[in-house]
Amino acid sequence: MDDHVKEDEQQLYKKVTRRSFLKMMGGLGLAGITMSLAGCSNSSMVEQAGGDGWLPQQYQGRGTWPAQVRGRVPIDPDNPSITRDDQKCILCGQCMEVCNNIQTVAGHYGLPLANDVICVNCGQCTLWCPTSAITERDDTQKVLQAIQDPNKHVVVQTAPATRVALGEEFGLPPGTWVVGQQVAALKRLGFDAVFDTNFTADLTIMEEATELIKRITGDIIKPLPQFTSCSPGWVKFCEYFYPDLLPHMSSCKSPQQMLGALAKTYYAKAKNIKPENIVSVSIMPCTAKKFEMQRPEMISSAHYWNKKGLQDVDVVLTTRELARMIKQQHIDLSKLPEQKYDSMLGEGTGAAIIFGATGGVMEAAVRTAYYFITQQQPPANLLNLTPVRGLDGVKEAALDVPGVGTVKVAVCHGLSNARQVLEAVRQGNAPWHFVEFMSCPGGCISGGGQPRSAVPPSDEIRMARINSLYQADVQAPRRESHENAEVLALYQDFLQHPMSELSEELLHTEYTDRGKKVREITA
Amino acid sequence: MSKGVLVDITRCIGCGSCTVACKMWNNLQYNQTAPDKGSGLNAENWTAVNRVQTEKNNEPVWRFVKYQCLHCEEPACASACFSKAIKKTKDGPVVYDVNLCVGCRYCMLACPFNVPKYEWNKTFPQVRKCQMCAGRVQTGESPACVSVCPAGALTFGDRNSLLAIAREKINSDSSYIKQIYGEKEAGGTSWLYISDVPFETLGFRTNITTTPLPHYTESILSLTPAVALGWGALLTGMYVYNHRRNEIAREEKEPGDE
Amino acid sequence: MADKDKWRFTMTPTRYVLLVLSLVGVLLMVYRLASGLGSATNLNDQWPWGMWIGFDVLTGVALAGGGYSTALLVHVLGIKKFTPIARSAMLTSLIGYLLVMAGLFMDIGRWFNFWRPFVSWGYHSVLFEVFWCVSLYTLVQLLEFGEVATEKVQKGWHKLFKKALPALLIIGVLLPTLHQSSLGSLYVIEVGKLHPLWWSMMLPVFFLMSSFFVGPAMVTVETMLGARAHGHKPDISVLQSLIKVSGYLMLVYLVLKVVDLSYRGATSLVFMGNLEGNMFLLEMVLGIIIPIVICFTPNLRSSVGGLVTFGVLVVAGVIINRMNVVFTGMADFMGGSYFPSAIEWLVSIGLIAIGVLGYLFIVENFNILPNHKHDQAPNLNNSINTSTSSIELSN
Repeated sequence: MDDHVKEDEQQLYKKVTRRSFLKMMGGLGLAGITMSLAGCSNSSMVEQAGGDGWLPQQYQGRGTWPAQVRGRVPIDPDNPSITRDDQKCILCGQCMEVCNNIQTVAGHYGLPLANDVICVNCGQCTLWCPTSAITERDDTQKVLQAIQDPNKHVVVQTAPATRVALGEEFGLPPGTWVVGQQVAALKRLGFDAVFDTNFTADLTIMEEATELIKRITGDIIKPLPQFTSCSPGWVKFCEYFYPDLLPHMSSCKSPQQMLGALAKTYYAKAKNIKPENIVSVSIMPCTAKKFEMQRPEMISSAHYWNKKGLQDVDVVLTTRELARMIKQQHIDLSKLPEQKYDSMLGEGTGAAIIFGATGGVMEAAVRTAYYFITQQQPPANLLNLTPVRGLDGVKEAALDVPGVGTVKVAVCHGLSNARQVLEAVRQGNAPWHFVEFMSCPGGCISGGGQPRSAVPPSDEIRMARINSLYQADVQAPRRESHENAEVLALYQDFLQHPMSELSEELLHTEYTDRGKKVREITA
Repeated sequence: MSKGVLVDITRCIGCGSCTVACKMWNNLQYNQTAPDKGSGLNAENWTAVNRVQTEKNNEPVWRFVKYQCLHCEEPACASACFSKAIKKTKDGPVVYDVNLCVGCRYCMLACPFNVPKYEWNKTFPQVRKCQMCAGRVQTGESPACVSVCPAGALTFGDRNSLLAIAREKINSDSSYIKQIYGEKEAGGTSWLYISDVPFETLGFRTNITTTPLPHYTESILSLTPAVALGWGALLTGMYVYNHRRNEIAREEKEPGDE
Repeated sequence: MADKDKWRFTMTPTRYVLLVLSLVGVLLMVYRLASGLGSATNLNDQWPWGMWIGFDVLTGVALAGGGYSTALLVHVLGIKKFTPIARSAMLTSLIGYLLVMAGLFMDIGRWFNFWRPFVSWGYHSVLFEVFWCVSLYTLVQLLEFGEVATEKVQKGWHKLFKKALPALLIIGVLLPTLHQSSLGSLYVIEVGKLHPLWWSMMLPVFFLMSSFFVGPAMVTVETMLGARAHGHKPDISVLQSLIKVSGYLMLVYLVLKVVDLSYRGATSLVFMGNLEGNMFLLEMVLGIIIPIVICFTPNLRSSVGGLVTFGVLVVAGVIINRMNVVFTGMADFMGGSYFPSAIEWLVSIGLIAIGVLGYLFIVENFNILPNHKHDQAPNLNNSINTSTSSIELSN
């Protein structure tokens, strides 16, 4: 605030430069007086009227030459995920660069517009914007208010990828493992229960692997390959640009939405808390989660309790917002003692941890699918599925599963890579049974809500975070989702079995054809 | 050759790059209380992009309309200025010279598009509006807003060739409205618009005269010398006649009195 | 010195009030000049012109039209029976114009630049003509007043002024003819913005005619008030013939208005029952039709009440007309809202107070009013009414 005032004050006093002084003296000359009195000095009028500000170098030059990087992405003022401060925008074009070339959204729809500003809410532009003009929409006030309300029971979940990035906001090297400190910080902020999205990541694998097997065996009539559905930016992308392929999309909700639905049903029931008094917060590496949370179908708890107004997840904070909240409380994350997640929805396996990296969902699903089909522990190579690891745009693997034969899988991350896979599927050239899609390059660890440790994000930092996840997987006592004791308890006490009626109600969803919002590109 | 800008409303994606470029190039201030919201034209917003929610073929559509001074071919504001502070340059821009401005604000009243705005909060305010980056245009560069448009919604060039481009576009594509806004409005403007939804639904003033506005006043003002001379002569004649008559009356009366 | 008791100005309670209002006005004017229009007025981008232009200037100039119409009747046309009212009417006009100039100066944003149009000729602008004519006319009126003033001070110059008077008078009729009409022409460029009930290519003619026929109405009101103040009978016969001049002109005005409306196909708009239609009806019925009836009904015309009613209605009609052009007719297009700020009111009132005090001072010290020698002691209690200036009435 004070700084703003000072700046304004400074602008009030125009600086007397040598140029302006000489100009003034010239103006005082007799000729100048006569000319300017009579308004005859036409050329000076144009010069004065022309503006003398600053524009990035690519926009200068005679004529209208094409600029390699021009303008910026459109952002709807009502966009739930990202906002832009025009005052900080310098028209560098970096948002356009990432949106157009890496995410293939901007410039990949026809004009004129329908009634939508096409955006998949991935938030990569917030990572590329050099001045932080584009940022996540700040929802921290909502959380602070909920915490201060004594009637509210505020539960929070943390995504797999935040634990290897949050530390960077507190001066720790990229990829530093801060899971315990993160829990401690959340408890100090006043959350009533701290849960792990890894719990529902394991649950997702249980459901999604079951669905995959049913598709392969023909128990449900849906096309192959099955697409993963846990990246909301990717889901919206598919709804916009490939709505014809939506039947391929797994009906499983994302882990965030599964945990939200369970918190207000399973957990509320067990703890005897009124669901309307629960405020469900999630800490995500992702800006698209802010969009996903408010999708109209994400109200399973309302259906379950038959109560209007219930939302499965109430507020989504990005990793950056959480860091801000912690800093505002003057808590130094790096100095906190490690604490553990609360039980019931707090356990996660190594399979869930690697959800945060590209290929991780696939690897986790393969481990459990193998077990479901063979009833045997997967071999060592399935616990270290290197073909689907790393930062190659599209990765493939073929696995021999006894009783089924060769299962072919593919993994892609970044939406331009997704287009390659989708085009192949559209043309019927897809040999795969299961494809993992991640909206953001590198997966969730480099999501639009992660710390801006390098602008634009570098592969070096991506790999640091990914390696940290895989290391934790190796060290985890349990590395397969079907071994998660709390997940097993959940099925035993509440859901019965994967894809049961209740599971379908709480954990599965439907998709919206947004194809009409996207016009075909005409010349 | 008079320059202009062609705005193809169907191409605009509403990113607002043009508004930012305008602020940067012209050193305009941002509204500290509402930085991200377009609040229309004002002393510091020389251009604005309005989102219009309308319908096309019975389906809801959004259209973004960039708005700024249209730089009339024969500007009413320049003709209304009694100290020549506003002028139309030969390149096309209608520009303002603060040194000559008295601050009467007749230009604001005269503008058929309500474009000129005023710095009400300053002791010695200026009239503020788009100058079409006259300095850039003079050196052959396009205005700042045009140079940054990522969507190809803005085209800079000779007004005549822009009209040809516009005509070809609207004739070859049936979705366009068969009208070039600015071709004839207010006698023609340097900025031209084409659209696929009717201009009146986009907030354009369509009931506007096609006669250049200065012609209205000029037709009256041109009478001034004749009226002044004729009325002056008549008054002098009447004065002389009546005084002469009074004198004669007095002279005729006086001998009788004596 | 012997000259010391040459000047007199007796203070009365009313005059103290006026003095206070003047001082407040002056202080606020200084504040306005130092702080800018935004902090002093409620003007905004939708309403760039407000009370100071609409009322103080446009209406002020119209109401000060009594000066040139009387000058035309008395001095050019040589109708001697109107002579007794001539000096008072022309003084009112002079003070009116000085106030208009002050009001304009308040309203221009870059007031230090007020002289620009003298050297930078924006001759395409109607305002240019108005600016030159009003400035020159004010100068001419000052010179005309020189003839009166030199009866008392700088007597050596009197002969010269007397000699120059014929030329001054002719110019002094010519210039207002031009700028009164031009004030109407100002709004010709508002084509499509000003409501069609008022917008017309005939606007200059209407403004000119109304400024002319409001002159006798103003003079009538002033004379009646003055006569009452001094307890002598007003010369009704002079006023009767005077308002007949207005009456005939208003008849022509009414016919022209009707023809103009029907020519432009705007007649139906009169009876729409909306704000614009009703205000137009008010202006025409109250300010034109009823006064015409009074004027051409001998019984009414010859009564004091009839004359006063005529005067007041015509003046009100012209005020409503100018307000309709500036505000009512523009409201629909301009949008937004405007109501004058306290400072705008107080400055306007202060200006009027200054005008009234100036008028009073001059009337007491120079030979202005008929049957009222300036060295006589004024009837202090009533003299305030005598001097009701054009603008005060309009308030």
